[in-house]
Parts: sequence; structure tokens; C-alpha cells
Amino acid sequence: MPSSNPLPPKENALFKRILRCYEHKQYKNGLKFAKQILSNPKYSEHGETLAMKGLTLNCLGRKEEAYDHVRRGLRNDLRSHVCWHVYGLLQRSDKKYDEAIKCYRNALKWDKDNIQILRDLSLLQIQMRDLDGYKDTRYQLFMLRPTQRASWIGFAMSYHLLKDYEMALRILDTFRNSQMSCYDYEHSELLLYQNLVIQESGESEQALKHLDKYCDQICDKITVKETYGKLRLELEQFSEAEQVFKELLNLNPENTTYYARLAEAERHSSPEKTLEMLQRYQDLFPRALAPRRLQLNYATGETFKVLVDQYLRKGLHKGVPPLFVNLRSLYKDQHKVDTIKSLLLEYVEALKNHGHFSDSDKDLPREPASALLWTYYYLAQHYDHLGLTEKALKEIDAAIDHTPTLIELFVTKGRIYKHAGNVMEAYKWLDEAQGLDTADRYINSKCAKYMLRANLIKEAEETCGKFTREGVPAMENLNEMQCMWFQTEAARAYQRLGKYGEALKKCHEVDRHFSEIMEDQFDFHTYCMRKMTLRSYVGLLRLEDVLRSHPFYFKAAKCAIEVYLRLNDYPLPDPTQTQEIDTENLAPSELKKLRNKQRKQRRKAELERQQAAHAQEKREQHNKSRQQADPDLEQPTLDELIPEKLERSEDPLEQAVKFLQPLQELASDRIETHLMAFEIYFRKGRTLLMLQSIKRAHNLDANNPDLHSCLVRFLQHVAVNPLKGPVADVVKRQTTDIFSNYDAAQLNSDFLNKNSKSLPHLLQGARMLHLLDPSAQAKALSLASHVDGLDGVNLETCTRVLEALRNEDFGICEQAIADYTTQCEKRFPYATAFRPPESYTATTNHQALTTISDAVRE
Amino acid sequence: MSINIRCATTEDLLNMQHCNLQCLPENYQMKYYLYHALSWPQLSYVAEDEKRRIVGYVLAKMEEDCEDNPHGHITSLAVKRSHRRLGIAQKLMNQASRAMVECFGAKYVSLHVRRSNRAALNLYTSSLQFEVSEVEPKYYADGEDAYAMKRDLSSFHQEKNHAKDKIAKDGTAHTHSGGCCDYEHS
Repeated sequence: MPSSNPLPPKENALFKRILRCYEHKQYKNGLKFAKQILSNPKYSEHGETLAMKGLTLNCLGRKEEAYDHVRRGLRNDLRSHVCWHVYGLLQRSDKKYDEAIKCYRNALKWDKDNIQILRDLSLLQIQMRDLDGYKDTRYQLFMLRPTQRASWIGFAMSYHLLKDYEMALRILDTFRNSQMSCYDYEHSELLLYQNLVIQESGESEQALKHLDKYCDQICDKITVKETYGKLRLELEQFSEAEQVFKELLNLNPENTTYYARLAEAERHSSPEKTLEMLQRYQDLFPRALAPRRLQLNYATGETFKVLVDQYLRKGLHKGVPPLFVNLRSLYKDQHKVDTIKSLLLEYVEALKNHGHFSDSDKDLPREPASALLWTYYYLAQHYDHLGLTEKALKEIDAAIDHTPTLIELFVTKGRIYKHAGNVMEAYKWLDEAQGLDTADRYINSKCAKYMLRANLIKEAEETCGKFTREGVPAMENLNEMQCMWFQTEAARAYQRLGKYGEALKKCHEVDRHFSEIMEDQFDFHTYCMRKMTLRSYVGLLRLEDVLRSHPFYFKAAKCAIEVYLRLNDYPLPDPTQTQEIDTENLAPSELKKLRNKQRKQRRKAELERQQAAHAQEKREQHNKSRQQADPDLEQPTLDELIPEKLERSEDPLEQAVKFLQPLQELASDRIETHLMAFEIYFRKGRTLLMLQSIKRAHNLDANNPDLHSCLVRFLQHVAVNPLKGPVADVVKRQTTDIFSNYDAAQLNSDFLNKNSKSLPHLLQGARMLHLLDPSAQAKALSLASHVDGLDGVNLETCTRVLEALRNEDFGICEQAIADYTTQCEKRFPYATAFRPPESYTATTNHQALTTISDAVRE
Repeated sequence: MSINIRCATTEDLLNMQHCNLQCLPENYQMKYYLYHALSWPQLSYVAEDEKRRIVGYVLAKMEEDCEDNPHGHITSLAVKRSHRRLGIAQKLMNQASRAMVECFGAKYVSLHVRRSNRAALNLYTSSLQFEVSEVEPKYYADGEDAYAMKRDLSSFHQEKNHAKDKIAKDGTAHTHSGGCCDYEHS
């Protein structure tokens, strides 16, 4: 031990006891022994003892003292690996992994073969995906402990992750040959992992040979067969592949991928062949859903009619609620839609008249009475899907008349209203449904979701509260359970209500779930090596690499970015300054009212502050007690998310960028990512980053209407801020294939001419027309508020037009707004967005509007 | 939409959690799902629609520390209400059970169900051959009792052995015993 200050035997014995106490989590005793050493004036500044005391304090939740002691200890003994290791552990417990890695490296300088430090280092390296560093560390561990299984596995895996398949396989082979063979689950998993590495190296033939050789020793037969199937197809060994997929289908006739692969293996020359194959499987497995349903995808014309007729009758006879959702994907094909519709209309007539599906069945026994109900139910969903609200409502009402207690009917009625643009009415029907079966969480969740769409956040929380843990506020429990659907919907609702701080809080909570799930990896680095579940472990690493590509993150990030942009454009007044409204011009009574109001606000704010502080304190205590109970929990306390602080962020654009970055990396295939990026960088005045966003968006969809508004504003920006030198060259060179014309006005008029039949394009073109030339208001208005004979005239786009009108994108235009709403109200009679504000009291105008457009978009 | 039933992967876990939160009162943090997927990757199954949305799942594990009497346990099983009456739950359970036998030699599989959950109780007893083994008082956080239920898996063992024999004989692996071919007795 190269400590610069070795302890004499007695103190050294005490020091060892501190270490033992730390390992056995006897922190109080550890502190006692530390005190015994440090109270000796000769050793009061003993580095390693101070460091260990600090580490122990950290486990007792006394973070600040912990850092003081550890740093002091380190300063007193910079050549001690113990001090460095301890400092690393401390940083690690605070999730400062980069810092911790540096500390471990310093520790290894003084004790290069320390197994414990090497292991700790390797964990951080894989967590941080420092793959080269990981490889080096695993090599050292391997050399130091060649007899341990984990040494081999980690060593091999480090090469696999670096895509050095050959080396990885050599290590695995050597390891397997040196092992005592026992054919257990772990051995089986190891073989499958090795096979995966061979496959990834691209050597399909080798993988096949490997599988042939070892398949008897692998217990996971499904994976063996699936791998065989994949390899045989890759190697074009079709008849063998056919055999494999037949075996797989015998084990699981509901796997649609197997059917697709079998069709591939049988090299069908036409859809009829596939249809025959599926028919065979329907006969073989009469109760299987997949072959019956898949036939409808391949069949056309008269065959389709016969098959879908059988399918519908079977479902309606039995009363299968998901019948429509089960067929919905066929609605891409207009011919199939027409066929289905005519069959259903025939059923309704015949069932009403004589209780059979068709007149030709009259001699057969009658269908159950419920068949008519299910037919109404299907038709309601059918019409709703096609946007025919009135017809859909007629059918669902007929169904409800028939059977007034079926929950699904109310859910569907609510959904029809949602699609038609009336979120309040939609929520009422869901509430009705929920009341009929309060023990079903699915209905409960749907109802809460509709409440959130209607901006009824408190009601939604109460509704969810029926299923969350008792004694905890529902919001808190939902957060603890990582209930992201609720949090993203709530964020949207808060955003619509203008409660920006609350909205941001929800978005940050979702973001934190993703961080937590990244942290969750940590324990599995060691665990999976022990369990040998290496394929799944590699799957985990790859999943975590792209974790924030999940749609939940996208939704939360989008909401956060929109809110931060809004807060940048319209910053909230500083609450301490709002009191200085010009009091001089107010009547005394007004003044008194104002003062009262202010006093109340202050009192409320004070109360909230106290509550927040209290909550924070409680949380800390809770954490402390938890840490005492289980000191292994090295959870750093996160900063509390306080809405009032979040909405007054000093740099909202920087905050927006933080949410944007994962999207740029992981959701670059979505044009919205780059459009949002443009909005941020436009406000930051960052020309090259604007250019980057435009280029990426342009590559995805050159004629996107929203992109057009970015292009025009970019040209305007460049015109006002002339570029010089190399930047000007870059911009010029990079934009030649984007801009047909560098004159914004000309570009816009070209765009309008080219897209004169599409409302979403006309809207953006008209907005830009007004932006470039406010005197062209009349023309801009007539372009955007036209609804006849255009593509893309739907509730969503018309709502956006109205938003733009109200937002004064076309200047002040009261009359145009009035005319437009009248026009739209006729066209969308069920939507609340175009009704006069006073008839719609639940939310304010603007909120109602965005509610609709959100609801319709999803 | 054709429903696809397949073994769950790590990529499915977030969506399984979402399905669970929508459907059931017992919820778990992501780490618990990870624990299942990384300990017994063969045992959990999902049902997805053609847009790859999870409409049902079974989250399953092996009980540890009972090597002489290996048995599986169903941690959680859910099918969205919008996809009921298609027999999805039964199909998910049969796949998970088969995998328990195949990979871990499970003798039986156990689960807990709320005393008040008549629908689930009915599914388990009538369609899936589960039997109540005991009542566990106040098993759930809200104080409700649970039925502990078991299903004997010996029919799957026969199938497994049979398959082995058959492979030896003629190279095809399918036999009609156990639960895999419930479809055939329509």
C-alpha cells in the first residue's frame, strides 16, 4: 500500500475495522472507529481514514460532510489508491460517471492490479459506452483472474461490442472447450449467444454449422427454430426453411411473421398461392385467428367478398367486440370498404325483418338477438372511421336503444364525438361508460384520458385515483409508476390551459423516467454475466442506446419545446414586479380590489413556497430513512421540479435545446424534429443551425407546408443579417438545391401557385404573404379562408386556419374571423371549435381551439 | 389487424408497461420488467396489432430457490378490453407455459388472482385448467384476498418428450398433446 502515511499497528487494525463496517453497512460503528483514529493528534489528518469517514457519511445521507471529508483526505494523501477509489465511489453515487472514471484511473495508477477497482471501472465504462476502455479493463481482469467465468465472458463481449467478431468467437470457443460440459440452461444460453455473434459477423453458413452441431444442447427450441428459419432463408435453402416454419407454426399458429416467412420459403408466385397456404392452416387450426384474418389481406374481388362475409357473420354471431378494429386496416382499399358496407347493410335489413343475415338464410335457425346489436355497433365504427359523424351517431344510438347497458357502445359514442371535435361531449360518454364498470381500469384510463383532452385535469386525477395506491396523491403514485401516458396527456392539457410551469413539470417528469431507465441498466452489467442471459443483455444495451426514440419521449419533448418557445416569445412577468402596475390611474375602489387581490396572491404564493419547502424536507427525511434502512440505495436526491421556477427559466431556448437533442439523434426521420429545431435556432439567430434544420427537413419532405414557412423566414433572416466570408459561401453552396429562388416574395408566390389546391399549403403560403407584405392582407385572407374544392380541408387544418386568424397572423381581421367560423360551423356542425365562444363555456376560446386540433390530430 | 403473438423482447418492455398501466391496478417500475426479460427471456409473450401496438401480454418468471421442484409464476397477464373475446389471454398463457417446461422443466405454473375478479377466475379455471390451491389473506396492497392458483404442466412435458422421440424418428416435431393445439378442438 503506497500510502504516504502508513498507520502503526493499532490504528491500522482500527482502519481495517472501518472497512469491514462499511462492507457490512454498520455505518455508525464505522464512524466510531474513524473517530478513534482521528482523535489521535498524530493522525488527525490521516488521508485514508478521512476518506473512509466521508464515504461512510455519504451512506448516512450526509452528502456535504461526505464530500468535505473525502476531498480533505485525498488532499492529504494524493498517492493513495484508497483515497482515489473512495472519491470515485462518491462521484459514482452522485451519477457523475465521467468524474468517477477519472478517479478510478488515478487509483489504478497507484495500484494497477486492484481487482475491485478494475471491476468498478469496467461497470462505469460499459454504462458510459466507452467500449475501448471497457475492452482494456476486461483484458486486465481476464489476465488477473483467468479461472473465473465472468472474466472470459466479459472479455469476449468487449470484443463483440466493438464488432471484432473473430476475436470474440475465439475467446468464446476457448472458454467453452475448457469448461466442464453440463447441459444446463446457462450453457444453452451461452451457445445461443455465440451463435448470435456468428450471425452478426455475417457468416450465415458458419452459424448454421454451429447450430447443427449444438442444437441438441440448447433447450430454447423456439429460438433454435427461428434461427434456423432465418439462416435457411438467407442461404436460400428454401425447402429446409419451409420445414422449419411449418414446425414453428405448429407450435404457435398465431404468429403472423411465421406465415410471412413460410410464404417466402414456399416462394409463392401470386397472392392466390399465399391464400391457399392460409386456407390450409385455417383447416388445420380452426380456432386460430391469424390464418383466417390474414386471408382477407390477400383476397380480392369475389373471393374477398365470400371470405369477409364468413368472417363478419362469425364475429357478429358470436359477438366479438373487436371485430371492427380487427378489420380496420383493410379500409385502405376502397373496394374492400364498399364490399364490407354493402354486406353490413344487407345484414341489418335482413336481421330487422326476419332475424337472419340474409334473405336466402330464411330456412335456417334465427340468429341471436344480439347479432343486430353487433351489426349496429360495427356500422357506427365504420361510419366514424370514414368521418361520417351523423350516420355513425345514428347507428350507435340504434345500438344503445337495443341494449342500453353495453359499455363498449358508450365508449364508441364518446369516440365519435372526439373525432367530430367535441371533447366535452366525448368525455361525458366515457364517464357514462366508466360508471357502468368501476372495477375495470381500462375504461377508467380511457375516461381519464378523455377528461384530460377536455382539460379537466383535476377530474382526471381523481378518476385515476380509484386505481392508485391509497394514502398517496394519485399524481405522485402515477409518477412513481412511470405512467407516461398520463403525464404526457396532462402536460398537453396544462399547456392548453396556459399553465406552463405545470406543463413543464410533467414533461420533465417523463424525461426523468427515461433517465431512470438508463440508470436501471447498471445492476444488469454484472447480473447478466452471472445469469448468462447474454443475448438479452446485448438487447438491453442496444435498447438503452436508443431509449429516447420512444414515442412517449417524443410527445413530452415536443410539448416541452413548444412551451419553452412560447415562454421565450411571451416571457411571464416577474411576480415581484407585477405589483407595480400603474396605480395612479385607477379609481380608489379598483385600487382597493387590486390591492386585495395582490395580497391574496402573495399569501397564496407564500403558502405554496412553504408547502414546497415542507415537501422537500419531508422527501429528504424520507430519503434519509430509506438510506438508513437500505444503504445500498445510492439515490441522489433530484432537484424538485417547481412549476413557478420552470416557467421562469432564465434561458428557455437552452432548455428547449436539451429536449431537442435526443430527438435530433434518435428521431431524425420525423420532420417535426427539424421544424422544431428551426424554431429554436431561428430565435437564437444561429444561421448555420437553421440551415442544418432546413436541409434535414428538406431531405425528408421537400414540399412540406410548415417547412415552407421556415424557408421564407430563413431568407428573410439572411436578408436582414447579410452573411460574410466563409459562412456566406457555405450557405450559398448548401442552399442551391433547396431554394428555387432566393427572393422570398418570389419563392412564396411560386409555392402558392404550385400548391393552389391544397389548404395546408395555402395556409402557410398566405401567412408568409402577409408576413412579407402586410398590405396584402385581403389576398392572404382569401387564400387561407377558402374551403371549397381544396385538398386537406378537414377539422384539423381548418382549426389551424382559425388559430392563425385569431393569432393575428393576417393582422387584425374581426370580420374575416366571423365569416370563417360561420362557414366552418356549417361544414363541421359537431365541432365546438367554430361555435361562438359564449356557447362554449368550459374553456376559453383559444384553449378550446387547441384542444380540438390536438384531439383531431391523434 | 391481424394479431401477432410472439415472445417478448427488451424492446417491448416499455409498451408492456404501458399496457399494464392502462389495464391493471398492480403496476411495476421498468426495472422489474427488465429483471424478467433478463432473467427468463423465453417466458414472456406479447400480442401486438399490425401497428405493433401491444394489446396484451403475459409477464412470467420462474420461482427461484426450489430446484428440486421447478415451477413458473405468472407475474402479470393483461389483454386490453378493446381486444377481449379473441382468446388472446389463453394463447399467451399457453405459449408461456410451454416455454417454462421447455427451457426450465417447470412442473407447474402458479399465479395470484383477486378474489373479486370473477372474470379472471373464470378464465383461469375453465379455459386454462388452473385450480385454486389456497387463499392468501390480504395479499393485495388494498387489503383484498388473493386466490393462489396452480396449473399442472405435465401435458406439456409429454409433448416435449414426444417431440424428442419424433425428431429421432422422422424429423418432424409436432404432436397433439398439451395446450399448444387447443385450437384444434374447436
